[in-house]
Amino acid sequence: MDFLSNLGLGFSVALTPFNLLMAFAGVVIGILIGALPGVGPPSGVALLLPLTFGMNPTSGIIMLAALYAGTMYGGTITSVLINTPGESASVVTCLDGYQMALQGRAGPALGIAAIGSFIAGTFGVVLLMLVSPALARWSLAFGPPETFALMLLGLTTVTLLTGDAPVKGYISMLFGLMLAMVGFDIISGDARYAFGIPEMMDGIDFLPVAIGLFGLGEVLAGAEAPKGQAIPDVRYGLRQLLPDAKDWVRSRWAIARGTLLGFFVGVLPGAGPTIATFLSYALEKKVSRHPHEFGHGAIEGVAGPESANNAAATGAMVPMLTLGIPGSATTAIMLGGLMMWGLRPGPLLFEKNPDFVWGLIASQYIANVMLLVLSTAAIPLFVRALRVPYACLMPIIIIFCITGAYSLKNSVWDVGQMLVFGVLGYAMKKLGYSPAALTLALVLGPLAERALRQSLIISDIGLGIFFMRPIAAVLTVAALAAVGVPMVRAMQAAARRRGAAS
Amino acid sequence: MRRADAIAGAALFALAVAFSAGALKHYSYWGENGPGPAFLPFWLGLVMALLAALLLAGAWRSRGPEEAWLPRGEGLKRLAGVLGATIALVALLNVIGMVLGTALFLIVLMRFLDRTPWPLTLTLAAAVAGINFLVFTRWLGVPMPLSVFGF
Repeated sequence: MDFLSNLGLGFSVALTPFNLLMAFAGVVIGILIGALPGVGPPSGVALLLPLTFGMNPTSGIIMLAALYAGTMYGGTITSVLINTPGESASVVTCLDGYQMALQGRAGPALGIAAIGSFIAGTFGVVLLMLVSPALARWSLAFGPPETFALMLLGLTTVTLLTGDAPVKGYISMLFGLMLAMVGFDIISGDARYAFGIPEMMDGIDFLPVAIGLFGLGEVLAGAEAPKGQAIPDVRYGLRQLLPDAKDWVRSRWAIARGTLLGFFVGVLPGAGPTIATFLSYALEKKVSRHPHEFGHGAIEGVAGPESANNAAATGAMVPMLTLGIPGSATTAIMLGGLMMWGLRPGPLLFEKNPDFVWGLIASQYIANVMLLVLSTAAIPLFVRALRVPYACLMPIIIIFCITGAYSLKNSVWDVGQMLVFGVLGYAMKKLGYSPAALTLALVLGPLAERALRQSLIISDIGLGIFFMRPIAAVLTVAALAAVGVPMVRAMQAAARRRGAAS
Repeated sequence: MRRADAIAGAALFALAVAFSAGALKHYSYWGENGPGPAFLPFWLGLVMALLAALLLAGAWRSRGPEEAWLPRGEGLKRLAGVLGATIALVALLNVIGMVLGTALFLIVLMRFLDRTPWPLTLTLAAAVAGINFLVFTRWLGVPMPLSVFGF
């Protein structure tokens, strides 16, 4: 069978000692990054990306994907223990996880999250394995109009789902697209907006931007407030972590629902793990027979969202690998990495680089097992790492930002660029703009422009081409709805407010 | 927050207009067989100008109390310290080099932010500078900036 031989190929790649080591390193660093407040999955991937330039791409993506899975669990530890989410996909876990910890049930909360993450991650990979090749084959029929419409949908949905106000989300996205215009135009050869500066002629590299926005920007935001929170002493032996029979009965369907919901939310372009956790929490509260317990330590409130975020992290790989459209800020940075390694994400990836794709898929199974073992056996170690004071951690992260930005092209120019975007990232975070939308737009911008121009070249009816081909039409209408609906709603709300005021 | 919106809106509006105008002035809008290099930038600038105007209008209309987004007092001092040290390190990178720069940067910030005890400060500074050197310079072969002393 074709399918099994592919998976066999994948495992033969993933089980080499170096790749096993990379998966392990990815999971460990991921848990740490997830647990540390201020650095989330996008920062982790951006900061580690420079390290992968010395490896072959398969080892690189294995490490980054394992890291992504690890961060999803790492954030849980701080959410449960100190009510501070390490990253945004663990925000809802605070609601019931911390309450459980206050009742002396931190162990089962962490345990059910670990088990749920394992189940969701593993089923997520199964779904990834089943869905991706089919989707890749289907998308082979895509021409430039479909590709452009799909990118438009990805850009508008990520904007819809991040940032405080729609206007600020769209401004972030457009700013990213404007940055993407800088440098040589692929068709005419004009060096646009380069002002004669050689470094600008090659365009604005996304890596220093991503490191600045997500690495330095987050650190600066954390710098202003001295953080020092005591971590309660809890015993984390295997016996304390194992949920009892009653917990199990209450959690099993929550895990199942979280897995399915999370995966499909992850697949949607633009919606990532964070959205999945909020939806899962709402769903669990709705179907629960005792909704009044939510917010007071209901274990379903931990099990569902924690499963959903791991499944979504896996699901977000599907559009990235098959269509070349990332589903979240983290996968946008991974996509940028893929392009730097010289791979072209999209339908042809499955045919041209089977060892890469299937190696990644197989390594995700292995990474999930590693995650389960580490998250049950090594919790005391991770908790100890959390006690490292922020004053020691922060300068180290900044050094990592500088080294990472420099090592891309061995140029101090890139470091300066990282610095500028670090300050911008800080301001964007404080003022409610969306760094995720900017990054996604910067990565997709050149590809979207090429698809748009190719579409208009083959079109006899101008922009009408995006409405005349069935797939393109559906995608375009969906993208326009994603822009229009929230704008109309905001205007209605403003009109109501004015009416009430007068 | 609203004053910040007004400033951002005005700045973005100016940038967007310049972006569109610059596209039309320097590059061709329509080539022989399709849109030219100015096509997309022109429209991006136009939409951005519209959004910036919306932001500006929103800031104009709001009468709520001003929200502070920059920290004050101690917080501002810490932010300025961290940012200042980072800018100084980047500016001096070609003079003091990566290894020495890393060590000095760690010492300055750890002492400044938290009065970290000297033994821990020095150990960590040496360790991070060493690991940074081993991983990037030795393993990945990145030619890191050297100090004027040649290391």
